[in-house]
Amino acid sequence: MPTVTEAHETTAAGNRMRIIDAALACVTRSGTRKLTIDDIASQAGVSRATIYRTFDGGRDAILGATVETEVARFFSTMAAAMGRAHDLSELIVTMITVSATYLSNHQTLAFLRAHEPETVFTHLTFGRIDTTLDAATSFAAPFFVQWLEPEEASRAAELVVRIVVSHLTDPDPAFDLQDAAAVTSFVDTFVVAALVAPMAPRSRSTSTKQQKGRSS
Amino acid sequence: MASEPEQREIILQATYACIARWGVKRTSLEDAASEAGVSRATLYRYFGSREQLMNAVVAWEYRRFFEQLIDDVSDASSLAEVMELGLQSARKAIAEHEVLQMVLQTEPALLEPTFSAVGSTTRDRVAQFLLPYVLAATLAPGRDPEAVADYLARMFLSYMGAPGRWDLAESDQVKSLVEYELLGGILAS
Repeated sequence: MPTVTEAHETTAAGNRMRIIDAALACVTRSGTRKLTIDDIASQAGVSRATIYRTFDGGRDAILGATVETEVARFFSTMAAAMGRAHDLSELIVTMITVSATYLSNHQTLAFLRAHEPETVFTHLTFGRIDTTLDAATSFAAPFFVQWLEPEEASRAAELVVRIVVSHLTDPDPAFDLQDAAAVTSFVDTFVVAALVAPMAPRSRSTSTKQQKGRSS
Repeated sequence: MASEPEQREIILQATYACIARWGVKRTSLEDAASEAGVSRATLYRYFGSREQLMNAVVAWEYRRFFEQLIDDVSDASSLAEVMELGLQSARKAIAEHEVLQMVLQTEPALLEPTFSAVGSTTRDRVAQFLLPYVLAATLAPGRDPEAVADYLARMFLSYMGAPGRWDLAESDQVKSLVEYELLGGILAS
């Protein structure tokens, strides 16, 4: 039974959002390692029973939903900014500067990077990077279709995601990803010039250099 | 009696064999010592703690990996070729690296401290390795060789770690990736 204090907000969707927001607040304050259902319940001001009724997978299901919600928020900020680009260069510069700014200012991410880097790390290196790349590329590719063929659009989006991930995980003090002028010069030199270069006919390059054998 | 460097190498090899069998967490100093055929006291003389031993094994395997990679690209005569051979070789080595695959499957978080510690060092080393090839290439006007080497090193490590939409076992695709997507804006046309 819902308690009196919960009674005014008993819709499943309302509880769900409340629990997710509470979980995010808890993780931002103290990370995921010692996070319990009780912490989330008390932050959300709901009972344990309400939590279990809303998320039958318990703590991990709540964390999964929290990540999903944060990714959706991030993508929606990105979409609003990227939708305003007037050409390919501007699109890529926007994608890099806005994502770098958003992710650098994300408090939950900052806490996790400082205190439990392995939580972030497994998604950004060959552990699960393919999933992360795929999600980010699938999100970004439609914005590239206006200027590139669909297959090129996916690969171009993927290239830009890689640039962002590389600089966020291994920053270069001399290159600020939030500095639009510096990013524009970088993008025009390395990225746009490559994307508009004529693609090779695929049939031209069938012969391979003999690779040296590697004993395994 | 084995010399000190030899004994160190034997212990590292033995520890690596234990990790391959049981994983990192379940490998103890006793396991490593007994696999190497040395006493615990001897092992302690070389590696003061379990943590030191594990770090040394990672550094040792990491060096082996890059030595093999450098060997695989030694015939390359151009920037494009060194990138192509390197990506193919690294991709294959990672896919066939049983211990790395096992750790990634079972204990991926254990790699975090190592990767954080060596991340920028690795990028620097790859960039330094590529720089002579960049300097020998004819660059498009206004391309700074150091910036080119840094960018290519970052992308090399990125595609090496995860091929994404590319099949790096296909030499056509590797060629297309390197010559057009990576070098298209860098080399003079």
